[in-house]
This record gives sequence, C-alpha cells and structure tokens, in this order.
Amino acid sequence: MNQFAPQALLLLGAFGAAGLAAPAFATQYMTVEQAQKVLFPEASSFRDARLQLSTTQMREVEKLSGLAARSVGWRVFAAYHDAEILGYVVVDDVIGKYELISYVVALSPQAVVRQVEILAYRESHGFEIRSPAWRKQFTGKTVQAGLTVGDGIANISGATLSCTHVTDGVRRIAAIAQVAFKVPAAAT
Amino acid sequence: MTNAADHLLRRAQPWLGTMVEVSIVLREGEAEASQQAITAAFAAVAQVHRLMSFHEAGSDVSAINRLEPGQSVAVDAHTVNVLRCARLLEDASAGIFNIACGAQLVASGQLPPPAGASAATAGTAPARNALVVDHNLHVTKVLPCWTDLGGIAKGYAVDLAVEALQAAGIGTGCVNAGGDLRVFGDADFPVVIRDPQAPAQAGRRLQLRQQALATSAGYFSSRMHAGRQSSALLDARNGQPVPTGRSASVQAPICMLADALTKVVMATNDATHPLLARFGATAFLI
Repeated sequence: MNQFAPQALLLLGAFGAAGLAAPAFATQYMTVEQAQKVLFPEASSFRDARLQLSTTQMREVEKLSGLAARSVGWRVFAAYHDAEILGYVVVDDVIGKYELISYVVALSPQAVVRQVEILAYRESHGFEIRSPAWRKQFTGKTVQAGLTVGDGIANISGATLSCTHVTDGVRRIAAIAQVAFKVPAAAT
Repeated sequence: MTNAADHLLRRAQPWLGTMVEVSIVLREGEAEASQQAITAAFAAVAQVHRLMSFHEAGSDVSAINRLEPGQSVAVDAHTVNVLRCARLLEDASAGIFNIACGAQLVASGQLPPPAGASAATAGTAPARNALVVDHNLHVTKVLPCWTDLGGIAKGYAVDLAVEALQAAGIGTGCVNAGGDLRVFGDADFPVVIRDPQAPAQAGRRLQLRQQALATSAGYFSSRMHAGRQSSALLDARNGQPVPTGRSASVQAPICMLADALTKVVMATNDATHPLLARFGATAFLI
C-alpha cells in the first residue's frame, strides 16, 4: 500500500485512526508512475505541475462543475514529448459511502478528459459501523475474523456499488483543468 | 491447478455507474500488447455505456424512452442484441424479468427522470411486450414505458469486453463490472461473494472457471424514499421492491444471462427456478 498517493495515505490514516477496524476489500491497480505511462505512452517526460487554486479559480470551478471545489492544492503532472505538451494527469481521491478510491484523470492541453484510471480501491464500513445497527452485526467478531490478505486478489461479486462520487470527481477535475490550465485555442 | 491470481495485470475504470475491473494473466514479454488488449476491453464497455445508459441523453435507451407509443427509432446492433435477449427472458419468465420498470425506478428515486421524455411516454405499471424490434434495427414503442437496461446491460458489457480480450489474443482473464463478472481461459479465479448481512465481509468463496457469475442484492441501493423503502431491485410483475436482506447469485455460460437471471431468482426467492436450467445456469441465495 506504500504506492498510494500521499493524500490517500492521509485518508487511509483517517480510517484507521477512527479505530473502526472493519475488515475491508482493497486492491492496488497501479502506481501514479505506471498510470502516467498507460495514459500517455508517447510521453518522454512527466513534470510536476501541481496546482494551487486561487479563491477566484475555486469559485469558477464550482460554477462550471456545480460541485464544491473541495481542495486548494491539486497533484498534477504535465506530460511532454520533448518540448511539446501532450496533456495532464491529475491525481485525486474520493470517499464514498462505503469506499475510498484513488484515481487519475488524463486531460488534453485543451482540458478535454481523455481517460480515467482507478489506482486503488479500498472499502470500509468505517462510517457506517458507528451506528448501533451496524455495530451489532460485528459483535463477537474480531478484526481477524474478517477477510484474509488473499482476498485482495479475488474478484468480488455482490450488489452493484455506485460510482457516482468518481464521476463527480472527474467532472470537478475537468472544470479545474478548464479554469487553471486550458491552453487557449490558437489565435486565428 | 493454475492459480490465475499469481501473475495478474489488473486495471479498473469507472463505467456503467460502477467500477469495471479487467484482469488478465500476464504473458512474458507481452506487457505492452496486454495493456492494449485491456484498453480495447474498456472501449467495448464504454460503448455499451454510451448506448445503454438511462442517464445519458444521447444513448439509445434515452431515445427509446422519449418515444411516444407508436413511434420508432433506429438503434445500434448492440442495443438490439440486449433488447432481444431481454424480450426472450421476459417471455420465458412470464414477466418476472422485464426491462420496462424505468418509471417505477424513477418514482422510487433510484433513477432520475429521463431528459426530454414526456409523462405520456412513461406508463404507470411495467408493461408487457412494450417494445418491438424489427430486422432493420428499429425499435417501436407499442405501449408506454421507460426502459431501463440496468439489470442486463452490465452483463452484456462484460461479455463484449471478454470478446475484445480474446480477439486481442488474451488467453486467460476476468472482467468484473461492479460484481457481475466472467472468467475465461485455463485457470481458476477466486471469487468472493459479499455477505448480504455484512457486505464488507465474505459470505461465500468459490473458484470460477470459464463461466460467468452475477449477484443481485439490495444492500447498496436500498434506502428510504418519501417514507418508503426503495431499492433498485423490483419484482417486474407488480413494480414493487423485492424484499432485501438476501442476495441472489447466478452462474451461467455468459454474463448477460447471469446478470438478468439474478432478478428472476431474487423476485421468486427460488434458487432452483426452472428457467435457470433452460439457460444452462445455476443459482444460490445467501
């Protein structure tokens, strides 16, 4: 799990700190570095292009996306082939009702979303388990009674878990790209 | 026995309102070709998403939902494939499976109202045989209904993705669209079924080989709406939510059938329903 983005580590820490210890499914799909190569295979270099949004920019993001801009700082890499910019990779984490998802969005220099890849998926009923009904279900079960490490590589079948928060996250990042690093169309 | 998990290349992308995961057994020296094969598999899933999404105004499903009774629209051959299978299952199950439940899912807050569709297009109860598909890829709405392919399209997307992987020369792998999955090739894949009473834990574990498996349950979609229990799972015979608390899993040769048949098992609470054997499927309830 040490390949998580630093933000993700903090969030995972938050899960742990709550002392909830719910057994959970987790899968690491790729690192940020691997994702960069999958998203921009033609790139010769990736440069740190992290973003600090101004208050004005955050307001614009909210207006464009209809979502709270959420963070000032964003982890961004710019993909280059020699001196030519190919696009951007934005790294983000979202917390759903049941899970934490780290993902990356690849965008063109014109701020058009090209691809989304999930980096890591981890779920926890941490927030839910606080309610007495949930707590009751785990009464008498130890932490170890949950899933084994091996389940990290198994496929999970069950009710469909909605991914709306990732979709929202992608929409927010598309708006951020529009506001913060869209290259204006060449003057005609 | 090969354990496929030993050397898997895995990727996941958000499609069809959930997370779609593609896993393939990585062959020596073919990492780049394998990545391209996975990209092709996701492209197949993306195509189903664009054609069959209830939410997206540009989808075939949205075009069908905007039809007034008596009107027709041309749709993609993939959409026709799914509509034909849905009709087959609707007839064979005497309406236990029915894709015409969109209006009921909108009323219970599980789906948003389709953009641009007038109330006259919706219908009040799930209509039987509401759509007719001809041989020129035209769909005619015979009776008012809103179509939702949420109970079958994920399975079809999985099947298309598997075909894309196989066409790219991948011998062994698994595609999992939010719990509806299919494994192919010469390996056993470990699968964990969530415990419907405690979904973060395993209710059952099994090994799957050259087969599809889908599970339906209400634990993630179930919520209160307007003072009543709302779920994405309906009994299509009356449009009422099926009791939650259990989960139905179906194993079948292809994922479209596994996906759709879970609704029959869920609504009838019968893991030995005669329809299963007819389609080469088996089921269990947890």
